[in-house]
Amino acid sequence: MADLPPPVQGPTAKEKKYDRQLRLWGATGQQALENSHILLMNSGPGVTGLETLKNLVLPGIGQFTIQDSAVVSEADLGVSFFLEEEHVGGFRAEHSCNLLKELNPDVEGHYITEPIETFATQPDAFKPYTLILVTAPVRPEILAKLSAHADASLVPLFYIHSVGFYSHFSIHLPPAYPIVDTHPSPETTTDLRLLKPWPELLQFAEEKTSNLDAMAHDDHGHIPYIAILLYYLEQWKKEHGGNPPQNYKEKTAFRDIVTKAARTNNPEGGEENFDEAVGAVLKSLNPPEPSSSVKDLFKEKECVVIKQDSPSFWVIAHAIGLFYTKYGVLPVPGSVPDMKARSADYVQLQNVYKSKARKDFAEVLESVRFVERTANRSTQIEEKDVEAFCKNAAHIKLVRGRPFHVVQPNESIKWADRAKAIVQNLTFPDSLVPLYIAFLAWDKFAATHDQDGLVGAQQVPGETDAETDAGKVTGIALKITDDLIKEAVATLEEDELETIKSQVREFVEELVRAGGGELHNIAALTGGLVSQEVIKVITEQYVPVDNTCIFDGVKSKTAVIRV
Amino acid sequence: MGRDKFARQSLGALHTRIKQSRVLMVGAGGIGCELLKNLVLTGFGEIHIVDLDTIDLSNLNRQFLFRNEHIKKSKAMVAKESAGKFNPNVKIEAYHDNIKDPKFNVAWFKGFGVVFNALDNLEARRHVNKMCLAADVPLVESGTTGFNGQVQVIRKNRTECYDCVTKDPPKSFPVCTIRSTPSQPIHCIVWGKSYLFTEIFGTSEDDAPDMDMNEDSDNAKEIENLRQESQALRRIRDSMGSEEFPRLVFNKVFKEDIERLRSMEDMWKNRRAPEALDYDALAQEALGAGPAVAQKDQVVWTTAENFAVFVDSLKRLSNRLEETRANADVGNSTAILSFDKDDVDTLDFVAASANLRSHIFGIETRSKFDIKQMAGNIIPAIATTNAMTASLCVLQAFKVMRNELEKAKMVFLTRSTERVISSEPLRPPNPECPVCSVAQSTLEVDTSRATLKDLVEDLLRLQLGYGEEFSVNSEAGILYDPEEDENLPKAFNELGLKDGSFITVIDESDENAKVNLVLSITEKSLDKDSKPINLPAEITIANKPKAAPVAETNGHVEAGTNGVTNGKRKREADEVDIESANATKRGKVAVTDPQENDILVVDDATDGAILIDDD
Repeated sequence: MADLPPPVQGPTAKEKKYDRQLRLWGATGQQALENSHILLMNSGPGVTGLETLKNLVLPGIGQFTIQDSAVVSEADLGVSFFLEEEHVGGFRAEHSCNLLKELNPDVEGHYITEPIETFATQPDAFKPYTLILVTAPVRPEILAKLSAHADASLVPLFYIHSVGFYSHFSIHLPPAYPIVDTHPSPETTTDLRLLKPWPELLQFAEEKTSNLDAMAHDDHGHIPYIAILLYYLEQWKKEHGGNPPQNYKEKTAFRDIVTKAARTNNPEGGEENFDEAVGAVLKSLNPPEPSSSVKDLFKEKECVVIKQDSPSFWVIAHAIGLFYTKYGVLPVPGSVPDMKARSADYVQLQNVYKSKARKDFAEVLESVRFVERTANRSTQIEEKDVEAFCKNAAHIKLVRGRPFHVVQPNESIKWADRAKAIVQNLTFPDSLVPLYIAFLAWDKFAATHDQDGLVGAQQVPGETDAETDAGKVTGIALKITDDLIKEAVATLEEDELETIKSQVREFVEELVRAGGGELHNIAALTGGLVSQEVIKVITEQYVPVDNTCIFDGVKSKTAVIRV
Repeated sequence: MGRDKFARQSLGALHTRIKQSRVLMVGAGGIGCELLKNLVLTGFGEIHIVDLDTIDLSNLNRQFLFRNEHIKKSKAMVAKESAGKFNPNVKIEAYHDNIKDPKFNVAWFKGFGVVFNALDNLEARRHVNKMCLAADVPLVESGTTGFNGQVQVIRKNRTECYDCVTKDPPKSFPVCTIRSTPSQPIHCIVWGKSYLFTEIFGTSEDDAPDMDMNEDSDNAKEIENLRQESQALRRIRDSMGSEEFPRLVFNKVFKEDIERLRSMEDMWKNRRAPEALDYDALAQEALGAGPAVAQKDQVVWTTAENFAVFVDSLKRLSNRLEETRANADVGNSTAILSFDKDDVDTLDFVAASANLRSHIFGIETRSKFDIKQMAGNIIPAIATTNAMTASLCVLQAFKVMRNELEKAKMVFLTRSTERVISSEPLRPPNPECPVCSVAQSTLEVDTSRATLKDLVEDLLRLQLGYGEEFSVNSEAGILYDPEEDENLPKAFNELGLKDGSFITVIDESDENAKVNLVLSITEKSLDKDSKPINLPAEITIANKPKAAPVAETNGHVEAGTNGVTNGKRKREADEVDIESANATKRGKVAVTDPQENDILVVDDATDGAILIDDD
């Protein structure tokens, strides 16, 4: 074998370094990370922002930029991992950028020490970035500007608070943020179509169950459970006017029939394949009806009318919508779970599902091509994208991104269509909406208080006089609560309202007591939460938080609300 | 304005307690790095780190205290060095050592206010659990896999311990499935890794933990055949290094053995018979392919490509083994190679061999990337999950340090976007738990003087009121029971009982039997005139519960997965279904990696259950 060329080494060092995460989001997810450039506009103690970046630099985003004009103080050293003794007096952005870069030589880091007020007003200041993180406190006019940028350029924007034991973040995503690769949990992905079998599948079942009673034990014990279920389903339908078992009672009755059909007079005293069939009855005998969120997707305006410049997601969704209208089902995903069976039968069964999946895919692809021609689109959507969509059609997700609250000094907060749902949430015991309200009030305080002698620098509650500030912030928070209830046109019981108000007061007091300070451990946790969502958003895999997450570090508890 | 301004403001009185505390962190990997940073920056006074592992390239995507230049160095030592810089007021002690080393005895554990487990394997977790129970020190246990994570506070007599919920041991395949009748890709991968690789480059297959060598009357004959096959293969091993070696190995395992199997017609009545491969035909076909394809780890190789990689990797490994032998001193034990998922040569060999075998048996072949995961028990791991899990550990430790155990929680990180973090109250100890529902005490022993009789007669019968029916057991096995009394005159040191050893006393009385008593031995020279054995503190030993109420054991049913549960408990009921369905059919798949000891249920076709572990 001397004529074989010399070996080339296996995966690159980079692939080895990222091996453990490639198993979560694959090469396409990694590529998306490497193409990203994340801007962190850091303020306050700035720890959460840096902890977030740490968790993004490690898995290898392309670039990051820190905008922060603060100078390193002694107190920063106590909470930030990315600052050292010798940095005191220097720019925080510069030194933490350098230390973050050390974590991963593949990542490019930049810093901007220009104050946010002038930085943010430059034309095209945000243009280079694919995702923006901004930490509180930040001036409302700047946050509003960022929000407008997120709207106009479809760049995802994250707004983060971390104060004492509490934290919060909101995500402003594009108005249509679709995800194909949602990574549904494995137990929800099996779609066997037992109630809507196609001719080849029925034929397979018939073949494997012909002469069932006369079968040798060994053959009987190796019938794939899918064939068993289809066989007894046909029998059942004959006796029930052509209908399959429709409710729990009928399904249990059907299950009993299958249970009794298992042979117990064989040497094993039972049959695994029948056990599998029995176990699958409740799970698999459901009509293959798409979820309402998938059906709603087909009715979205972007899906109904395809234009020349429609994103490819909508073109494929449109084609799958047509498929659904025609057949009442989604394309068959094509995978078959493991089961007790002879290898040859199992392979045959796999092929029955795979050919059907291929056939369905071909039909969808054909209508994609048709739509492309009619809409006069210049480039063809890749086949593999259509295939991936077909495979995961039942789990496609559309997130409708929307702006989060930007607290303005002289305006009350608007909850619009969310008011009713938020008030309802507020009445739940242990609701974290009161904490969200406390953060809004905290923002309002910061928006209306400047630091002495420092034009433009915001003062945060509790920085100088905790007691006075707590009173002020509580007043603001209670007003926000009242306005919210009024906007929702809700009436609450007296004691219900009192409970809510006392929760709001407690959260406000705790927030103010922290004086705008961050605890490292809470910052680390919040950095973990935020970075995880950033990764989902960048890779367009998994479903991100929609749109606000609140964390209570006293109770180790989170809540996700849509505001 | 000092460096701990913010911490003082938010933590209040707890801040002082944190500064004075002495804590132990076992494991300096994914969770450990994050945890150490958090502990240091929260101001914990003294932190001890134990980790036996060294740093690997694949750690660097999350274990941020380590850099390229630290590869192959001790995790504990480098972690100490990197984190220490960030708070000069914190004292850090690092041990590059196995936590099971006897020097980490009960007395040593007692020196800590809180112990954090940031481990990657079941065995060490169980050990630390046991030690913390014996030392009565609170333990914060944690684990992650992919996006899931879990934190659990364990406190003797007050909460569930790690072993209150049964953890399945790693599972194995029947040897005949692996050697004669594979039907899944994993069977061929285990064959490549635990049979072929070990027979050619390692020690014998008898050591393979993932093959069940038990024979019963049905398969005795086949097992005998398989033994002969292994011996024949070992003889081929002698020609390693020769030009003909790849051909010899190939013809043995992909041709002759297959033909022998094929000739057993009974076996193939209901299965597709395997089809042997031809070396020369493949060599001809592979001329165009070349082993360079080994680089493409995400595509599924053709048979010819697998052949090329097989031959090439076999040569690479043979050369390595020859070199090692040449450099080794004569007379030393024979040099061997062991499988390591991150060692390209070994992985190429296993991937190519497994795929060739799959081809023979008509089983789907896999990409090297997939095979690496299945053969190497790889658990996905990322920085984000570790960051959250470690922070949750510290938050739970706060509860413990405030003496608010009732507020501590079992916390889960899940991929659900409704909740992200979910928690449930800690459960009370399982009264049936073999580990924590026992009475525990240290026992001071002059091990050269004290005999087993001193223990059995003086201490257990006279002092503690044991009756006739009980047994005394060491980690090695039974020392005494009413039928087995020949050890009574022997001294402790003759019986191998020394400082750090554990003894379990099991009461076998029919009525009012005491719960098991676990004694941990502290070596002490006691005054010649006093008894050579001494209980330093009084203990009360409760009686065993009568039949356990059904409702209480129900709470533990869902622990069907190994090791740590994955994220949320509630979902597991379903997973158990799926898992046990698979299990009954293929005898369960799980392989322990001797390299790292992490455990995982290999998910073959489906994304089945995976255990939580991050190295």
